[in-house]
Amino acid sequence: MGRVPQILALGGGGFSMEAGNPLVDDFALQITGADRPRVCFMPTASGDADHYVVRFYRRFSAVAECSHVSLFRRDKGAGAVEGDIESHLLAQDLIYVGGGSVLSLLGTWRAHGVDAMLRRAWRRGVVLCGLSAGSLCWFAEAVTAFHGPPQSVRGLGILPYSNCVHYEGGRRTAFADAIASGQMRPGYGVEDGAALHFAGRELADVVSSREDADAYFVGPGGERRLGVRCLARTLAAA
Amino acid sequence: MNGTILALGGGGFTMGPGDPALDELVLELAGGPSPRVLFLPTAGGDAAAQIAAFYGAFGDRPCRAEVLSLFRLHGSLKTIRDIVLEQDVIYVGGGSMRNMLAIWRAHGLDVILREAWEREIVLAGLSAGAMCWFDGGVTMSSGPPEVIDGLGFLPGSLSVHADGEPGRLPVFYDAIRSGALPGGWALDDGVGLVIEGDEVSRIVSSRPGATALRVDAVSSEIVRSRTQPALLGDGGRGVSADIREFRALSDASRRSARRTSR
Repeated sequence: MGRVPQILALGGGGFSMEAGNPLVDDFALQITGADRPRVCFMPTASGDADHYVVRFYRRFSAVAECSHVSLFRRDKGAGAVEGDIESHLLAQDLIYVGGGSVLSLLGTWRAHGVDAMLRRAWRRGVVLCGLSAGSLCWFAEAVTAFHGPPQSVRGLGILPYSNCVHYEGGRRTAFADAIASGQMRPGYGVEDGAALHFAGRELADVVSSREDADAYFVGPGGERRLGVRCLARTLAAA
Repeated sequence: MNGTILALGGGGFTMGPGDPALDELVLELAGGPSPRVLFLPTAGGDAAAQIAAFYGAFGDRPCRAEVLSLFRLHGSLKTIRDIVLEQDVIYVGGGSMRNMLAIWRAHGLDVILREAWEREIVLAGLSAGAMCWFDGGVTMSSGPPEVIDGLGFLPGSLSVHADGEPGRLPVFYDAIRSGALPGGWALDDGVGLVIEGDEVSRIVSSRPGATALRVDAVSSEIVRSRTQPALLGDGGRGVSADIREFRALSDASRRSARRTSR
Protein backbone atom coordinates (compact mmCIF):
# COMPACT_ATOMS: atom_id res chain seq x y z
CA MET A 1 0.00 0.00 0.00
CA GLY A 2 0.94 3.63 -0.06
CA ARG A 3 2.01 3.87 -3.68
CA VAL A 4 1.44 7.38 -5.05
CA PRO A 5 -1.03 7.40 -7.95
CA GLN A 6 0.83 8.20 -11.18
CA ILE A 7 -0.10 8.97 -14.76
CA LEU A 8 2.26 9.36 -17.72
CA ALA A 9 0.45 11.13 -20.56
CA LEU A 10 2.24 11.14 -23.93
CA GLY A 11 1.33 13.56 -26.69
CA GLY A 12 2.44 10.85 -29.08
CA GLY A 13 5.45 8.57 -29.23
CA GLY A 14 6.64 5.45 -27.45
CA PHE A 15 6.66 2.10 -29.28
CA SER A 16 3.50 3.06 -31.21
CA MET A 17 5.12 5.99 -33.00
CA GLU A 18 8.84 6.08 -32.31
CA ALA A 19 10.22 2.71 -33.34
CA GLY A 20 13.87 2.60 -32.27
CA ASN A 21 13.53 5.27 -29.57
CA PRO A 22 12.91 3.42 -26.28
CA LEU A 23 13.30 6.40 -23.93
CA VAL A 24 9.73 7.34 -23.00
CA ASP A 25 8.65 3.71 -22.66
CA ASP A 26 11.70 3.01 -20.50
CA PHE A 27 10.73 5.97 -18.35
CA ALA A 28 7.22 4.51 -17.93
CA LEU A 29 8.73 1.22 -16.73
CA GLN A 30 11.13 3.04 -14.42
CA ILE A 31 8.48 5.05 -12.55
CA THR A 32 6.70 1.83 -11.55
CA GLY A 33 9.67 1.17 -9.24
CA ALA A 34 9.44 -2.56 -10.05
CA ASP A 35 12.44 -4.57 -11.27
CA ARG A 36 10.37 -6.54 -13.75
CA PRO A 37 7.04 -4.72 -13.92
CA ARG A 38 3.74 -6.33 -14.79
CA VAL A 39 2.54 -4.39 -17.84
CA CYS A 40 -0.92 -4.73 -19.35
CA PHE A 41 -1.65 -3.25 -22.77
CA MET A 42 -5.11 -1.92 -23.65
CA PRO A 43 -5.42 -1.52 -27.45
CA THR A 44 -9.13 -0.60 -27.21
CA ALA A 45 -8.85 2.73 -29.05
CA SER A 46 -7.51 0.90 -32.13
CA GLY A 47 -10.31 -1.70 -32.06
CA ASP A 48 -7.81 -4.21 -30.59
CA ALA A 49 -5.80 -4.21 -33.82
CA ASP A 50 -3.73 -7.41 -34.01
CA HIS A 51 -0.61 -5.73 -35.37
CA TYR A 52 -0.64 -3.30 -32.44
CA VAL A 53 -0.84 -6.11 -29.88
CA VAL A 54 2.09 -7.84 -31.60
CA ARG A 55 4.16 -4.65 -31.52
CA PHE A 56 3.47 -4.27 -27.80
CA TYR A 57 4.74 -7.75 -26.99
CA ARG A 58 7.75 -7.25 -29.23
CA ARG A 59 8.65 -4.07 -27.34
CA PHE A 60 8.06 -5.16 -23.74
CA SER A 61 8.22 -8.93 -23.38
CA ALA A 62 11.98 -8.96 -22.73
CA VAL A 63 11.76 -6.43 -19.90
CA ALA A 64 8.32 -6.93 -18.35
CA GLU A 65 5.59 -9.45 -17.52
CA CYS A 66 3.25 -8.66 -20.41
CA SER A 67 -0.44 -9.18 -20.99
CA HIS A 68 -3.22 -7.45 -22.89
CA VAL A 69 -6.96 -6.99 -22.54
CA SER A 70 -9.16 -7.34 -25.62
CA LEU A 71 -12.69 -5.98 -25.24
CA PHE A 72 -13.67 -6.99 -28.78
CA ARG A 73 -12.90 -10.70 -28.58
CA ARG A 74 -13.88 -11.63 -25.05
CA ASP A 75 -15.55 -14.80 -26.35
CA LYS A 76 -12.64 -15.79 -28.57
CA GLY A 77 -9.68 -16.26 -26.25
CA ALA A 78 -6.81 -15.36 -28.60
CA GLY A 79 -4.35 -15.01 -25.72
CA ALA A 80 -5.96 -11.99 -24.08
CA VAL A 81 -6.95 -11.82 -20.42
CA GLU A 82 -10.25 -13.64 -19.88
CA GLY A 83 -12.81 -13.60 -17.09
CA ASP A 84 -12.09 -11.23 -14.20
CA ILE A 85 -10.53 -8.24 -15.93
CA GLU A 86 -10.66 -6.07 -12.81
CA SER A 87 -8.49 -8.35 -10.65
CA HIS A 88 -6.02 -8.54 -13.47
CA LEU A 89 -5.83 -4.77 -13.90
CA LEU A 90 -5.47 -4.16 -10.17
CA ALA A 91 -2.52 -6.58 -10.04
CA GLN A 92 -0.47 -4.60 -12.60
CA ASP A 93 2.42 -2.19 -12.15
CA LEU A 94 1.68 -0.38 -15.41
CA ILE A 95 -1.40 -0.15 -17.65
CA TYR A 96 -0.43 1.09 -21.10
CA VAL A 97 -3.24 2.48 -23.25
CA GLY A 98 -2.73 2.63 -27.01
CA GLY A 99 -3.80 5.29 -29.49
CA GLY A 100 -6.79 5.51 -31.82
CA SER A 101 -10.20 7.10 -31.32
CA VAL A 102 -10.84 8.50 -27.83
CA LEU A 103 -14.63 8.45 -28.36
CA SER A 104 -14.58 4.77 -29.30
CA LEU A 105 -12.19 4.08 -26.42
CA LEU A 106 -14.37 5.72 -23.76
CA GLY A 107 -17.60 4.23 -25.13
CA THR A 108 -16.16 0.72 -25.06
CA TRP A 109 -14.64 1.08 -21.59
CA ARG A 110 -17.91 2.33 -20.13
CA ALA A 111 -19.82 -0.55 -21.73
CA HIS A 112 -17.57 -3.01 -19.86
CA GLY A 113 -17.18 -1.01 -16.63
CA VAL A 114 -13.46 -0.62 -17.34
CA ASP A 115 -13.56 3.13 -16.60
CA ALA A 116 -14.35 2.42 -12.94
CA MET A 117 -11.72 -0.34 -12.81
CA LEU A 118 -9.03 2.03 -14.06
CA ARG A 119 -9.95 4.66 -11.49
CA ARG A 120 -9.54 2.07 -8.76
CA ALA A 121 -6.23 0.90 -10.24
CA TRP A 122 -4.95 4.50 -10.27
CA ARG A 123 -5.92 5.02 -6.62
CA ARG A 124 -4.02 1.87 -5.68
CA GLY A 125 -0.87 3.10 -7.38
CA VAL A 126 -0.96 1.20 -10.67
CA VAL A 127 0.80 3.57 -13.10
CA LEU A 128 -1.50 4.61 -15.96
CA CYS A 129 0.21 5.49 -19.21
CA GLY A 130 -0.81 6.13 -22.77
CA LEU A 131 -0.39 8.17 -25.90
CA SER A 132 -2.82 10.14 -28.00
CA ALA A 133 -6.33 8.77 -27.18
CA GLY A 134 -4.53 6.91 -24.35
CA SER A 135 -3.53 10.30 -22.92
CA LEU A 136 -6.72 12.29 -23.56
CA CYS A 137 -8.82 9.72 -21.69
CA TRP A 138 -7.36 10.53 -18.25
CA PHE A 139 -8.30 14.21 -18.38
CA ALA A 140 -11.60 15.99 -17.67
CA GLU A 141 -11.82 17.38 -21.19
CA ALA A 142 -9.99 16.91 -24.45
CA VAL A 143 -9.89 17.98 -28.06
CA THR A 144 -10.33 15.29 -30.69
CA ALA A 145 -10.28 15.74 -34.47
CA PHE A 146 -11.20 12.31 -35.69
CA HIS A 147 -14.11 13.04 -37.96
CA GLY A 148 -14.75 16.52 -39.19
CA PRO A 149 -13.67 19.65 -37.31
CA PRO A 150 -12.04 19.46 -33.84
CA GLN A 151 -14.56 18.84 -31.06
CA SER A 152 -14.39 18.62 -27.32
CA VAL A 153 -14.79 15.33 -25.45
CA ARG A 154 -15.30 14.57 -21.77
CA GLY A 155 -12.71 12.11 -20.50
CA LEU A 156 -12.57 10.07 -17.30
CA GLY A 157 -11.69 13.20 -15.33
CA ILE A 158 -9.00 11.65 -13.15
CA LEU A 159 -6.86 14.70 -13.98
CA PRO A 160 -8.91 17.92 -13.59
CA TYR A 161 -7.47 19.64 -16.68
CA SER A 162 -7.96 19.62 -20.42
CA ASN A 163 -5.58 17.94 -22.86
CA CYS A 164 -4.59 18.22 -26.50
CA VAL A 165 -2.16 15.74 -28.09
CA HIS A 166 -0.13 15.86 -31.32
CA TYR A 167 0.11 19.53 -30.42
CA GLU A 168 2.43 20.35 -33.32
CA GLY A 169 -0.47 19.44 -35.62
CA GLY A 170 -3.61 21.35 -36.56
CA ARG A 171 -5.43 21.14 -33.22
CA ARG A 172 -3.42 23.83 -31.46
CA THR A 173 -5.64 26.72 -32.51
CA ALA A 174 -8.88 24.90 -31.71
CA PHE A 175 -7.52 24.08 -28.24
CA ALA A 176 -6.36 27.64 -27.53
CA ASP A 177 -9.66 29.10 -28.79
CA ALA A 178 -11.78 26.72 -26.70
CA ILE A 179 -9.85 27.65 -23.55
CA ALA A 180 -9.73 31.40 -24.30
CA SER A 181 -13.50 31.48 -24.82
CA GLY A 182 -14.12 29.59 -21.59
CA GLN A 183 -15.67 26.59 -23.35
CA MET A 184 -12.90 24.41 -22.04
CA ARG A 185 -10.98 24.47 -18.77
CA PRO A 186 -7.22 25.21 -18.80
CA GLY A 187 -4.93 22.31 -19.59
CA TYR A 188 -1.97 20.84 -21.40
CA GLY A 189 -0.93 20.76 -25.05
CA VAL A 190 1.68 18.06 -25.67
CA GLU A 191 3.74 17.42 -28.77
CA ASP A 192 4.79 14.01 -30.08
CA GLY A 193 7.75 12.73 -28.08
CA ALA A 194 6.87 14.69 -24.92
CA ALA A 195 5.15 13.23 -21.84
CA LEU A 196 3.55 14.68 -18.72
CA HIS A 197 4.26 12.84 -15.49
CA PHE A 198 1.60 13.40 -12.84
CA ALA A 199 2.02 12.37 -9.19
CA GLY A 200 -1.48 12.39 -7.82
CA ARG A 201 -3.19 15.22 -9.68
CA GLU A 202 -0.07 17.43 -9.73
CA LEU A 203 2.34 17.71 -12.62
CA ALA A 204 5.64 16.37 -11.27
CA ASP A 205 7.82 16.24 -14.37
CA VAL A 206 7.79 16.71 -18.13
CA VAL A 207 10.07 14.41 -20.12
CA SER A 208 10.77 13.89 -23.78
CA SER A 209 12.40 11.33 -26.04
CA ARG A 210 13.95 13.98 -28.29
CA GLU A 211 15.28 17.52 -28.18
CA ASP A 212 12.54 19.24 -30.15
CA ALA A 213 9.46 17.92 -28.32
CA ASP A 214 7.66 20.53 -26.23
CA ALA A 215 4.68 20.74 -23.91
CA TYR A 216 2.59 23.75 -22.91
CA PHE A 217 0.19 24.82 -20.22
CA VAL A 218 -2.68 26.68 -21.87
CA GLY A 219 -4.86 29.08 -19.90
CA PRO A 220 -7.36 31.81 -20.88
CA GLY A 221 -4.44 34.20 -21.36
CA GLY A 222 -2.53 31.96 -23.77
CA GLU A 223 0.09 29.24 -23.66
CA ARG A 224 3.19 28.90 -21.48
CA ARG A 225 5.99 26.54 -22.50
CA LEU A 226 6.88 24.02 -19.81
CA GLY A 227 10.40 23.02 -18.87
CA VAL A 228 11.01 19.69 -20.60
CA ARG A 229 13.65 17.24 -19.40
CA CYS A 230 15.05 15.53 -22.46
CA LEU A 231 15.72 11.89 -21.60
CA ALA A 232 18.31 11.56 -24.36
CA ARG A 233 20.36 14.33 -22.75
CA THR A 234 19.97 12.84 -19.24
CA LEU A 235 21.20 9.54 -20.60
CA ALA A 236 24.22 11.16 -22.24
CA ALA A 237 25.11 12.99 -19.00
CA ALA A 238 24.94 9.76 -17.00
CA MET B 1 -42.16 5.03 -44.64
CA ASN B 2 -38.91 3.79 -43.15
CA GLY B 3 -36.18 2.04 -45.09
CA THR B 4 -36.01 -1.71 -45.64
CA ILE B 5 -33.97 -3.71 -43.13
CA LEU B 6 -32.14 -6.93 -44.02
CA ALA B 7 -31.24 -8.90 -40.89
CA LEU B 8 -28.90 -11.88 -41.45
CA GLY B 9 -28.36 -14.66 -38.92
CA GLY B 10 -24.79 -15.00 -40.15
CA GLY B 11 -22.94 -15.68 -43.36
CA GLY B 12 -22.27 -13.04 -45.95
CA PHE B 13 -18.89 -11.86 -47.08
CA THR B 14 -17.26 -11.70 -43.63
CA MET B 15 -17.84 -15.37 -42.82
CA GLY B 16 -16.13 -18.33 -44.45
CA PRO B 17 -16.47 -18.77 -48.19
CA GLY B 18 -18.98 -15.95 -48.50
CA ASP B 19 -22.55 -15.83 -49.80
CA PRO B 20 -22.65 -13.91 -53.08
CA ALA B 21 -26.42 -14.42 -53.22
CA LEU B 22 -26.77 -12.35 -50.05
CA ASP B 23 -24.49 -9.62 -51.43
CA GLU B 24 -26.66 -9.54 -54.57
CA LEU B 25 -29.79 -9.26 -52.43
CA VAL B 26 -28.31 -6.25 -50.63
CA LEU B 27 -27.85 -4.42 -53.92
CA GLU B 28 -31.27 -5.53 -55.17
CA LEU B 29 -32.93 -4.03 -52.07
CA ALA B 30 -31.06 -0.78 -52.63
CA GLY B 31 -32.17 -0.62 -56.27
CA GLY B 32 -30.67 1.68 -58.88
CA PRO B 33 -27.80 1.02 -61.25
CA SER B 34 -24.98 1.88 -58.83
CA PRO B 35 -26.09 2.22 -55.21
CA ARG B 36 -23.78 3.63 -52.57
CA VAL B 37 -22.94 1.02 -49.93
CA LEU B 38 -21.30 1.99 -46.65
CA PHE B 39 -19.78 -0.75 -44.49
CA LEU B 40 -19.66 -0.24 -40.70
CA PRO B 41 -17.11 -2.69 -39.23
CA THR B 42 -17.44 -1.20 -35.72
CA ALA B 43 -18.41 -4.44 -33.94
CA GLY B 44 -15.22 -6.12 -35.12
CA GLY B 45 -13.08 -3.15 -34.10
CA ASP B 46 -12.67 -2.19 -37.77
CA ALA B 47 -10.69 -5.39 -38.30
CA ALA B 48 -8.59 -5.20 -41.47
CA ALA B 49 -9.76 -8.66 -42.60
CA GLN B 50 -13.44 -7.61 -42.48
CA ILE B 51 -12.74 -4.46 -44.45
CA ALA B 52 -10.78 -6.40 -47.07
CA ALA B 53 -13.63 -8.94 -47.33
CA PHE B 54 -16.11 -6.11 -47.87
CA TYR B 55 -14.13 -4.64 -50.74
CA GLY B 56 -13.61 -8.18 -52.05
CA ALA B 57 -17.37 -8.76 -52.11
CA PHE B 58 -18.58 -5.35 -53.29
CA GLY B 59 -15.58 -3.73 -54.94
CA ASP B 60 -16.29 -5.33 -58.33
CA ARG B 61 -20.08 -5.12 -58.18
CA PRO B 62 -22.12 -2.30 -59.68
CA CYS B 63 -22.06 -0.10 -56.60
CA ARG B 64 -19.95 2.50 -54.84
CA ALA B 65 -18.40 0.79 -51.81
CA GLU B 66 -17.04 2.77 -48.87
CA VAL B 67 -16.06 2.03 -45.26
CA LEU B 68 -16.70 4.19 -42.19
CA SER B 69 -14.04 3.65 -39.53
CA LEU B 70 -14.65 4.82 -35.98
CA PHE B 71 -11.10 3.95 -34.93
CA ARG B 72 -8.89 5.40 -37.61
CA LEU B 73 -8.54 8.94 -38.85
CA HIS B 74 -10.73 9.54 -41.82
CA GLY B 75 -8.70 12.42 -43.12
CA SER B 76 -11.92 14.11 -44.14
CA LEU B 77 -13.71 17.19 -42.93
CA LYS B 78 -17.05 15.53 -43.63
CA THR B 79 -19.00 14.75 -40.51
CA ILE B 80 -20.19 11.20 -39.81
CA ARG B 81 -23.76 12.38 -40.43
CA ASP B 82 -22.86 13.70 -43.89
CA ILE B 83 -21.15 10.44 -44.77
CA VAL B 84 -24.01 8.22 -43.57
CA LEU B 85 -26.91 10.17 -45.05
CA GLU B 86 -25.52 10.18 -48.59
CA GLN B 87 -25.67 6.35 -48.78
CA ASP B 88 -28.24 3.96 -50.23
CA VAL B 89 -27.26 1.04 -48.00
CA ILE B 90 -25.60 0.84 -44.59
CA TYR B 91 -24.13 -2.65 -44.09
CA VAL B 92 -23.17 -3.48 -40.50
CA GLY B 93 -20.64 -6.23 -39.75
CA GLY B 94 -20.55 -8.68 -36.86
CA GLY B 95 -18.48 -8.82 -33.68
CA SER B 96 -19.10 -7.36 -30.25
CA MET B 97 -22.61 -5.91 -30.12
CA ARG B 98 -21.97 -4.35 -26.70
CA ASN B 99 -18.94 -2.46 -28.00
CA MET B 100 -20.63 -1.51 -31.26
CA LEU B 101 -23.64 0.11 -29.59
CA ALA B 102 -21.50 1.88 -26.98
CA ILE B 103 -19.19 3.26 -29.67
CA TRP B 104 -22.08 4.31 -31.90
CA ARG B 105 -23.62 6.19 -28.97
CA ALA B 106 -20.29 7.83 -28.15
CA HIS B 107 -20.15 9.15 -31.73
CA GLY B 108 -23.88 9.94 -31.90
CA LEU B 109 -24.25 7.37 -34.67
CA ASP B 110 -27.31 5.70 -33.10
CA VAL B 111 -29.31 8.86 -33.74
CA ILE B 112 -27.86 9.28 -37.25
CA LEU B 113 -28.77 5.69 -38.18
CA ARG B 114 -32.32 6.29 -37.04
CA GLU B 115 -32.41 9.30 -39.32
CA ALA B 116 -30.96 7.22 -42.18
CA TRP B 117 -33.68 4.59 -41.68
CA GLU B 118 -36.39 7.26 -41.64
CA ARG B 119 -34.95 8.57 -44.92
CA GLU B 120 -35.49 5.11 -46.46
CA ILE B 121 -31.83 4.15 -46.56
CA VAL B 122 -31.56 0.34 -46.50
CA LEU B 123 -30.05 -1.02 -43.27
CA ALA B 124 -28.42 -4.44 -43.61
CA GLY B 125 -26.21 -6.50 -41.38
CA LEU B 126 -25.32 -9.84 -39.91
CA SER B 127 -25.01 -11.09 -36.36
CA ALA B 128 -24.47 -8.02 -34.12
CA GLY B 129 -25.23 -5.97 -37.24
CA ALA B 130 -28.65 -7.67 -37.50
CA MET B 131 -29.69 -7.88 -33.83
CA CYS B 132 -28.97 -4.20 -33.26
CA TRP B 133 -32.10 -3.04 -35.13
CA PHE B 134 -34.45 -5.00 -32.82
CA ASP B 135 -35.55 -4.49 -29.21
CA GLY B 136 -32.92 -6.98 -28.15
CA GLY B 137 -30.96 -10.15 -28.78
CA VAL B 138 -28.38 -12.53 -27.34
CA THR B 139 -24.74 -11.49 -27.45
CA MET B 140 -21.43 -13.11 -26.54
CA SER B 141 -19.69 -9.73 -26.22
CA SER B 142 -18.54 -10.50 -22.68
CA GLY B 143 -17.88 -14.23 -23.19
CA PRO B 144 -20.93 -16.31 -22.20
CA PRO B 145 -24.21 -15.63 -24.07
CA GLU B 146 -26.42 -13.01 -22.44
CA VAL B 147 -29.39 -10.79 -23.24
CA ILE B 148 -28.62 -7.35 -24.67
CA ASP B 149 -30.81 -4.41 -25.66
CA GLY B 150 -30.75 -3.23 -29.26
CA LEU B 151 -31.63 0.12 -30.79
CA GLY B 152 -35.31 -0.83 -30.92
CA PHE B 153 -36.10 0.36 -34.45
CA LEU B 154 -37.96 -2.93 -34.93
CA PRO B 155 -40.26 -4.56 -32.39
CA GLY B 156 -39.35 -8.04 -31.17
CA SER B 157 -36.05 -9.84 -30.68
CA LEU B 158 -33.46 -11.64 -32.79
CA SER B 159 -30.93 -14.35 -32.04
CA VAL B 160 -28.25 -15.26 -34.59
CA HIS B 161 -25.99 -18.19 -35.61
CA ALA B 162 -28.72 -20.59 -34.43
CA ASP B 163 -26.90 -23.46 -36.16
CA GLY B 164 -23.30 -22.28 -35.77
CA GLU B 165 -23.42 -21.19 -32.12
CA PRO B 166 -26.33 -23.12 -30.58
CA GLY B 167 -25.28 -22.00 -27.07
CA ARG B 168 -27.24 -18.80 -27.62
CA LEU B 169 -30.59 -20.60 -28.02
CA PRO B 170 -31.26 -21.70 -24.40
CA VAL B 171 -30.53 -18.14 -23.24
CA PHE B 172 -32.86 -16.81 -25.95
CA TYR B 173 -35.70 -19.18 -24.97
CA ASP B 174 -35.32 -18.39 -21.26
CA ALA B 175 -35.33 -14.66 -21.94
CA ILE B 176 -38.53 -14.90 -24.00
CA ARG B 177 -40.17 -17.18 -21.47
CA SER B 178 -39.37 -14.79 -18.60
CA GLY B 179 -40.31 -11.69 -20.58
CA ALA B 180 -36.75 -10.30 -20.55
CA LEU B 181 -37.00 -10.33 -24.36
CA PRO B 182 -40.13 -10.04 -26.50
CA GLY B 183 -40.88 -12.86 -28.93
CA GLY B 184 -38.71 -12.99 -32.02
CA TRP B 185 -36.62 -14.92 -34.51
CA ALA B 186 -33.64 -17.25 -34.27
CA LEU B 187 -31.84 -17.39 -37.61
CA ASP B 188 -29.29 -19.86 -38.97
CA ASP B 189 -26.21 -18.65 -40.81
CA GLY B 190 -27.17 -17.64 -44.34
CA VAL B 191 -30.79 -16.82 -43.45
CA GLY B 192 -32.13 -13.29 -43.82
CA LEU B 193 -35.30 -11.47 -42.86
CA VAL B 194 -36.35 -8.67 -45.19
CA ILE B 195 -38.38 -6.23 -43.10
CA GLU B 196 -40.45 -3.42 -44.57
CA GLY B 197 -42.12 -1.16 -42.07
CA ASP B 198 -42.58 -3.43 -39.06
CA GLU B 199 -43.44 -6.45 -41.20
CA VAL B 200 -41.28 -9.35 -42.31
CA SER B 201 -41.94 -9.34 -46.05
CA ARG B 202 -39.54 -12.12 -47.11
CA ILE B 203 -37.55 -14.86 -45.42
CA VAL B 204 -34.64 -15.96 -47.59
CA SER B 205 -31.58 -18.16 -47.41
CA SER B 206 -28.38 -18.59 -49.37
CA ARG B 207 -27.82 -22.07 -47.92
CA PRO B 208 -30.04 -25.12 -48.43
CA GLY B 209 -31.34 -26.57 -45.16
CA ALA B 210 -30.87 -23.37 -43.18
CA THR B 211 -34.02 -22.25 -41.37
CA ALA B 212 -35.69 -19.43 -39.49
CA LEU B 213 -37.27 -20.19 -36.14
CA ARG B 214 -40.06 -18.03 -34.76
CA VAL B 215 -40.12 -18.07 -30.94
CA ASP B 216 -42.92 -16.65 -28.78
CA ALA B 217 -44.09 -17.00 -25.22
CA VAL B 218 -47.69 -18.07 -24.74
CA SER B 219 -48.74 -18.06 -21.06
CA SER B 220 -45.10 -18.49 -19.98
CA GLU B 221 -44.47 -21.39 -22.32
CA ILE B 222 -42.27 -21.25 -25.39
CA VAL B 223 -43.96 -21.82 -28.74
CA ARG B 224 -41.64 -22.45 -31.69
CA SER B 225 -42.43 -22.64 -35.36
CA ARG B 226 -39.85 -23.34 -38.02
CA THR B 227 -39.99 -21.65 -41.43
CA GLN B 228 -38.29 -22.84 -44.56
CA PRO B 229 -36.83 -19.75 -46.22
CA ALA B 230 -36.94 -19.14 -49.96
CA LEU B 231 -33.62 -20.24 -51.43
CA LEU B 232 -31.74 -17.45 -53.17
CA GLY B 233 -29.88 -17.43 -56.45
CA ASP B 234 -28.37 -20.60 -57.88
CA GLY B 235 -29.68 -22.97 -55.24
CA GLY B 236 -27.75 -21.30 -52.53
CA ARG B 237 -24.40 -22.95 -52.95
CA GLY B 238 -22.87 -19.53 -52.86
CA VAL B 239 -21.13 -19.96 -56.18
CA SER B 240 -20.15 -16.83 -58.02
CA ALA B 241 -21.12 -16.07 -61.62
CA ASP B 242 -17.72 -16.89 -63.13
CA ILE B 243 -17.57 -20.27 -61.37
CA ARG B 244 -21.10 -21.04 -62.59
CA GLU B 245 -20.02 -20.19 -66.12
CA PHE B 246 -16.91 -22.38 -65.78
CA ARG B 247 -18.99 -25.29 -64.53
CA ALA B 248 -21.52 -24.92 -67.32
CA LEU B 249 -18.71 -24.92 -69.88
CA SER B 250 -16.97 -27.96 -68.41
CA ASP B 251 -20.32 -29.82 -68.18
CA ALA B 252 -20.91 -29.06 -71.87
CA SER B 253 -17.47 -30.22 -72.93
CA ARG B 254 -17.85 -33.42 -70.86
CA ARG B 255 -21.19 -34.09 -72.58
CA SER B 256 -19.73 -33.55 -76.01
CA ALA B 257 -16.71 -35.74 -75.11
CA ARG B 258 -19.10 -38.50 -74.08
CA ARG B 259 -21.01 -38.09 -77.32
CA THR B 260 -17.79 -38.34 -79.34
CA SER B 261 -16.60 -41.47 -77.54
CA ARG B 262 -19.90 -43.16 -78.28
